[in-house]
Amino acid sequence: MLFEKIKRAFDKNRKHFRDDGKLKRMYPLFEALEAFFFTPENVTKEVPHVRDSIDLKRFMSFVVVALLPTFLFGIYNAGYQSNLMSGFSLDFWSAFSKGLIIVLPLVFVSYSVGFFWEILFASIRKHKISEGFLVTGLLFPMTLPPTMPLWQAALGISFGVVIGKEIFGGTGRNILNPALTGRAFLFFAYPAKMTGDSVWTVVGRLKDQSVDIVSGATPLAVSALAGTHEKIELLLAQKGYSFLRLFTGIYPGSIGETSAMLCIVGAVFLMVAGIASYRIIFGGILGVLSTGYLLNMVAGDSSAAWLSLNPFYHLVMGGFAFGISFMATDPVSAPGMENVKWVYGFAIGVLTVLIRVFNPAYSEGVMMAILFMNLFAPLLDYVEIKLRLKKRIPNVQQF
Amino acid sequence: MILLNIKKGFDLNIEGTPLPELAELNKPAFVASLPAIIPFIKPKLLVKQGDMVRIGSKLFIDKRNPDIKFLSPGSGKIEKINYGSRRAVNEIIIKLDNNEEYVEFDVNKFSGNKKYSRDDIIKSMMDGGIWPFIRELPFRDIAVPDFMPKALIVSIDNKEPFQPDPQVYLKEEINLFKTGISILKNLAENVYVLTSKDFINIGMADNLVTHKFSGRYPADDPGVLLHHIRKDSYENRAWYINGQDVLLLGSFFSTGRYPVKRIVALAGSLAKKRMHFKTRIGVPINNIIEGRIADENKARLIAGGIFRGYTASRESFLGFYETSVAFIPEGGKSETFGFLRAGYDRPSYSKTFLSYFNRLPLTTDCSLHGEERACVNCGACAKVCPVDILPQFAFKSIAAADIEESLSHGMLDCVECGLCSYVCTSKIDLCGFFKNAKQAYYKDRA
Repeated sequence: MLFEKIKRAFDKNRKHFRDDGKLKRMYPLFEALEAFFFTPENVTKEVPHVRDSIDLKRFMSFVVVALLPTFLFGIYNAGYQSNLMSGFSLDFWSAFSKGLIIVLPLVFVSYSVGFFWEILFASIRKHKISEGFLVTGLLFPMTLPPTMPLWQAALGISFGVVIGKEIFGGTGRNILNPALTGRAFLFFAYPAKMTGDSVWTVVGRLKDQSVDIVSGATPLAVSALAGTHEKIELLLAQKGYSFLRLFTGIYPGSIGETSAMLCIVGAVFLMVAGIASYRIIFGGILGVLSTGYLLNMVAGDSSAAWLSLNPFYHLVMGGFAFGISFMATDPVSAPGMENVKWVYGFAIGVLTVLIRVFNPAYSEGVMMAILFMNLFAPLLDYVEIKLRLKKRIPNVQQF
Repeated sequence: MILLNIKKGFDLNIEGTPLPELAELNKPAFVASLPAIIPFIKPKLLVKQGDMVRIGSKLFIDKRNPDIKFLSPGSGKIEKINYGSRRAVNEIIIKLDNNEEYVEFDVNKFSGNKKYSRDDIIKSMMDGGIWPFIRELPFRDIAVPDFMPKALIVSIDNKEPFQPDPQVYLKEEINLFKTGISILKNLAENVYVLTSKDFINIGMADNLVTHKFSGRYPADDPGVLLHHIRKDSYENRAWYINGQDVLLLGSFFSTGRYPVKRIVALAGSLAKKRMHFKTRIGVPINNIIEGRIADENKARLIAGGIFRGYTASRESFLGFYETSVAFIPEGGKSETFGFLRAGYDRPSYSKTFLSYFNRLPLTTDCSLHGEERACVNCGACAKVCPVDILPQFAFKSIAAADIEESLSHGMLDCVECGLCSYVCTSKIDLCGFFKNAKQAYYKDRA
């Protein structure tokens, strides 16, 4: 049996990583690898004698599983857009395999560079490697444009892991979402590779020059260009971005963000499993819709086209669906108290729309909105805890 | 009667619940008293090896209050006194005579239905060795007699898995129970009797039960009741006694003899006979389990419940407060890709296993099912905490030794049910934080 062989290999090599072994500094790596294949044999030492079957590995793998539909679609879409632009065959397998060529190197770089830092910090601090990076390592490449140079991706994930997480003490102690921190770093450090119309599609060598070159502008970029008297919905429709298409996700954009439909699938899965907070997700949707309608009400004839956009377009365009489902619900960087999760989600929704509408420098608002609210999460928690503890009958026992 | 609906808590869907059947155990050759596992006390031995004792002879007292006495659960010769580290008295083993003798206590003045002097009752209870059954919240130490609490809570049910069924231990003893309650009424302003709402009243006067709860473990706990009914902080210092111990109290005041009768549940998925046994305080554990459990080495013997009890050895004896013995698998078997299993048979509070749809009792072992990680603020602990503590935040203030903050979080309200540790995704022993902090705070008071 294969697994018995693996087990024996672990047992045989354990001594090299233990106390006096040559590789003892690498013990966290050894330990993490072994724990990945085989559940550890530890038992409870005292009360409670029994423990729940869930552990952080399962918790995090659920997020990875929830990401898979979006991820696979992202691969297909990246390949599809590339083949469309380059004039290659658009059938499923050629698009998907092209997508694999585009996306897998990014994922590989993200995981390998990120794990390098994780292992380094775990070895120095002599603690175990946390499973949190399983999610970060997959989330990060999904937020990138498909044309992202690999070295920049490596730099981004390094920044996300080291500055976004490890300097605060590692998984569980970070204030910001590490994947978004990495993306924000790239966004400001290499704007040429993160914005504009040309970065969203990998263009191959054109086979047939007679094919019309379709514009690579994302729906958000198209919308941002709308004049005061234009209607964004019509403009989008002219470019072929119908609401249904925006919902399903066959359009250029960051690898994981385009399909609102599959983000919903992942989000529902996580909410049903009790891992993502429905309060944050519904709060975010409410925030977008209410801000959108409010702007619709104040919009006049001469105001910017953004103001009169149907708010539902905000939900399906750009990264909002992806961000609110998988980034905002990260339990570490979100508030822990149940009621302020509504506030947190709602504020993310509001800020996303406001940044999109009023700040033309950033066509995408969700990343900034989530990072901004990450900073406020401890304050939100603090307020709710104080209010709650005030209602508690004190139990102090003076002696 | 007040019905309380307690929403938080968790009922473990666990295999091995004892049947409501009762059998009598053979008389053991030895019984023992176990001072070391009684929380907080500082025992001072009054006997030595070779002494002859009767049922009710003084074995040791609590140095903190020499009036609190612990009496011999058997009549015969002190066979051996086992010491642990730093000369802690672990076991006082008594070899039983065939015909056991009793120390007779004078309880005649408490006959009839008049109001007795509180001091007289307390003195009798102390002399009769039954005072230690009355304990005081929030620290769960033996009650301090010169304090008059607002409430004395009698909890009949025990929702912790594998505990004796109150229908079984009350069945023929209902009069003793009533006697016990009438005595207790002299000790506190109010006596609250708490049962589950499913409790079938067996010949108990209707007005005896004052509170009923609907809810999951540990809704039966006196601390949980107190958390839900208290109006003022002075009520925090309440007393409580277990339902079965009220029978001992009743028996003492009816007979004038130190009561030693116990009904003990044997349970757990590795117990072959899962039922109740009529036996006595300090019974050898082997006497309960011999021939009644599976022949399994990788297994754990737990006295007193899987959430609050302690690991016992077969050669040991059952403690003063414990009324259950559970035998469950030790677990700790390594599994290939364990974290990816669908888990139809994996008990879990979370909704990440298919066992969510499984109503059958599941085998539960002592595996940690993972390794300790940093808290990721998943919030499961706050969802189960029966006294509305926020363990995920409070444990950090305890770890930072911020005692004011910890107290304002309700650290002392913790009923030590162990559920926060049970559900923790990161395998942090949250309950241990609270328990240790409470004990440290209590010991610091002097």
